[in-house]
Amino acid sequence: MATRNRTLLFRKYRNSLRSVRAPLSSSSLTGTRSGVGPVIEMASTSLLNPNRSYAPVSTTEDPGNSSAITVGLPPAWVDVSEEISVNIQRARTKMAELGKAHAKALMPSFGDGKEDQHNIESLTQEITFLLKKSEKQLQRLSAAGPSEDSNVRKNVQRSLATDLQLLSMELRKKQSTYLKRLRQQKEDGVDLEMNLSRNRYRPDEDDFGDMLNENQMSKIKKSEEVSVEREKEIQQVVESVNDLAQIMKDLSTLVIDQGTIVDRIDYNIENVGTTVEDGLKQLQKAERTQRHGGMVKCASVLVILCFIMLLLLILKEIFV
Amino acid sequence: MVLVTSVRDYINRMLQDISGMKVLILDSETVSNVSIVYSQSELLQKEVFLVEMIDSISVSKESMSHLKAVYFIRPTSENIQKLRYQLAHPRFGEYHLFFSNLLKDTQIHILADSDEQEVVQQVQEYYADFVAGDPYHFTLNMASNHLYMIPAVVDPSGLQRFSDRVVDGIAAVFLALKRRPVIRYQRTSDTAKRIAQETAKLMYQHESALFDFRRTESSPLLLVIDRRDDPVTPLLNQWTYQAMVHELIGLQDNKVDLKAIGSLPKDQQVEVVLSSEQDAFFKSNMYENFGDIGMNIKRMVDDFQQVAKSNQNIQTVEDMARFVDNYPEYKKMQGNVSKHVTLVTEMSKLVEARKLMMVSQTEQDLACNGGQGAAYEAVTNLLNNESVSDIDRLRLVMLYALRYEKENPVQLMQLFNKLASRSPKYKPGLVQFLLKQAGVEKRTGDLFGNRDLLNIARNMARGLKGVENVYTQHQPLLFQTMESITRGRLRDVDYPFVGDHFQQGRPQEVVIFMVGGTTYEESRSVALQNATNSGIRFILGGSAVLNSKRFLKDLEEAQRISRSGSHMV
Repeated sequence: MATRNRTLLFRKYRNSLRSVRAPLSSSSLTGTRSGVGPVIEMASTSLLNPNRSYAPVSTTEDPGNSSAITVGLPPAWVDVSEEISVNIQRARTKMAELGKAHAKALMPSFGDGKEDQHNIESLTQEITFLLKKSEKQLQRLSAAGPSEDSNVRKNVQRSLATDLQLLSMELRKKQSTYLKRLRQQKEDGVDLEMNLSRNRYRPDEDDFGDMLNENQMSKIKKSEEVSVEREKEIQQVVESVNDLAQIMKDLSTLVIDQGTIVDRIDYNIENVGTTVEDGLKQLQKAERTQRHGGMVKCASVLVILCFIMLLLLILKEIFV
Repeated sequence: MVLVTSVRDYINRMLQDISGMKVLILDSETVSNVSIVYSQSELLQKEVFLVEMIDSISVSKESMSHLKAVYFIRPTSENIQKLRYQLAHPRFGEYHLFFSNLLKDTQIHILADSDEQEVVQQVQEYYADFVAGDPYHFTLNMASNHLYMIPAVVDPSGLQRFSDRVVDGIAAVFLALKRRPVIRYQRTSDTAKRIAQETAKLMYQHESALFDFRRTESSPLLLVIDRRDDPVTPLLNQWTYQAMVHELIGLQDNKVDLKAIGSLPKDQQVEVVLSSEQDAFFKSNMYENFGDIGMNIKRMVDDFQQVAKSNQNIQTVEDMARFVDNYPEYKKMQGNVSKHVTLVTEMSKLVEARKLMMVSQTEQDLACNGGQGAAYEAVTNLLNNESVSDIDRLRLVMLYALRYEKENPVQLMQLFNKLASRSPKYKPGLVQFLLKQAGVEKRTGDLFGNRDLLNIARNMARGLKGVENVYTQHQPLLFQTMESITRGRLRDVDYPFVGDHFQQGRPQEVVIFMVGGTTYEESRSVALQNATNSGIRFILGGSAVLNSKRFLKDLEEAQRISRSGSHMV
């Protein structure tokens, strides 16, 4: 596809016009520059890009850099959004670690495997905590009132909500596959035990108690312990699954459904227009009701009454 | 695909090199260009957190200097003026200007003059100046489409504006495709001739360097034709999904506004999106006829009900977890199913209320089969029928008049009178105006297949063989044009070349531009033709996308202007 760059021509014109203008208004030029507000020089910023590292907005780069861009100080909520994105990034790296830990725990090992379990538990808890925290912070990003800034905030919220939702879905998938494999292993283990005990055991149910010797008892006890442990693990995983379900539910209101009308740019622009208009109407209505409000009427009636009383008093004094 | 991908590529390139939070500023035309190919969620991924129109952006006084502004607008004088003001009072940190068509040097000068604070970082021309609704179909969404019917003497400036916009749009398409075509036009249309010549001037003289692309073995062909050569297609009622939705309800930028139908409950009065790119069901059904769509929708509903039933059967924690996992998919499926079911239900209701099955059968007979006497009877019966609406009556009389213009003028007059007496809102003389614009003397192509012996024979053979579906038997004239091009038999007499260009052999890419607008029936024709892999790729474009309502509105507008024009003269 063809494009044409007109920047050079534009710059040429701009420079020649600037030299024409410069002798007349050199002082006012610098005046307007500094009048923009607190200004921070920086080379480049990548605020919420998930693929690159999160460089905070307020780094001061070398001000003498000729390619530096002056950008005004962003509003406070940008810090909140930055924090959320940093948390999301952290959660991502931890998810990778969790994946590895899951794989390691599922491999048959001679040891107890308790430290693996502990590792998985702590990782999962950390990730869930990060996601929950991010979600709470996300709610703080909402702003009241229709304004351009609130639209930007809403869109930033949506973008972060989508990232969060994807992450939590990934986590759930990982957990459910781990759960499934755990269950399989547990069943295999119990089956194995059952088969072993069945082989040495005559199908005579009356002699149940006599037939069990000590060996078999200890074996059964051990398999019971193992299954109890596995139950506990499964329970924990299920708990975190439920936590994540809650997060998903809250996020689903924020995330855009792709392919629907809400995902259309022109629909969003029109709606902004109407919400701004609606907001204006609401404000006007509020103003009107306030003016015609009961309180105002009451107060004005009372004031008038006071004046009348005062007048009557004066008249009384005059004529008496 | 190629049109949609080029616009998407342009937008991607605009946004990818600018880091940080951005605001995208569009004008009333580019908002359609962008919205139809790019979604809001994709914009969010590119860190565009605000989208504004260039009109409303000067109203607010908030300074948002932490945002970088990306402008994508048409280089019209109004936009340049607005931009001047905004550059002089900049609200954003940086300004990146992208224009959808060629800038004049004077315009660049004006902008450079107002950029006192030097906030503009780049000025580029990215030629996405058309609305790419479907893979092989684009439109220019022009509001004053009717101007093509008015002769130059009546409104010269209006026609100039129309012609300029069309030339800009065609130029943008070829720049996006990186090709320079050989240009042919329909001899009998002055508007088409003018547009073809001005396009040639632009591509071969004024901006010859810009259009000087690598030559391929055969140059592509640009064919500029006039809507009035085939006035029948926009008047017919449609029975294939996309065309039917546009005809009965209205499809604008791939959106359907269900609020127009008064009979829906409040919560369903929304807009829905019908895009072949995003909706797999629509993609496979958009060219199917109404009966097949019904069956396919029923199948979709059954599948969905099965999924819903399994979702209700939640017994263990695992089931719960699986349900929550699959919930987004489930919600999407549910939304899609309800959208198509609503559309088809509403269309069925409209078909029932307007008795369109009956009306359309007569329409198709008028368009495809012969027999003046029988046609007259049928039209008269429908005119007498109370439940046929005014617009349908008007269409029937128009179709009859177009076909039997010269046969039996007495009966034709009777029909005119009957129409005028039965339809109070009918603008008198509209049918005659149509005949003046698009009558048998004005047309080049063999619209009814009754001029050329070969066509007559073909028609007879078709009549004997019988048709699969009475309601979709009509083939737009465009189909014959495409066949002629494929066989290399497009007559020079009817479609001359501009200037001294000639074509050796068959072109491999053909862009057909229909001045006055295209229809979805024609876009379907093009898509089906491309699917046959004949070695030629066709792209269709027009100044608007017509349905019968729009076509009639354009006719009325043109008639009104001609009348007032003739009073002035």
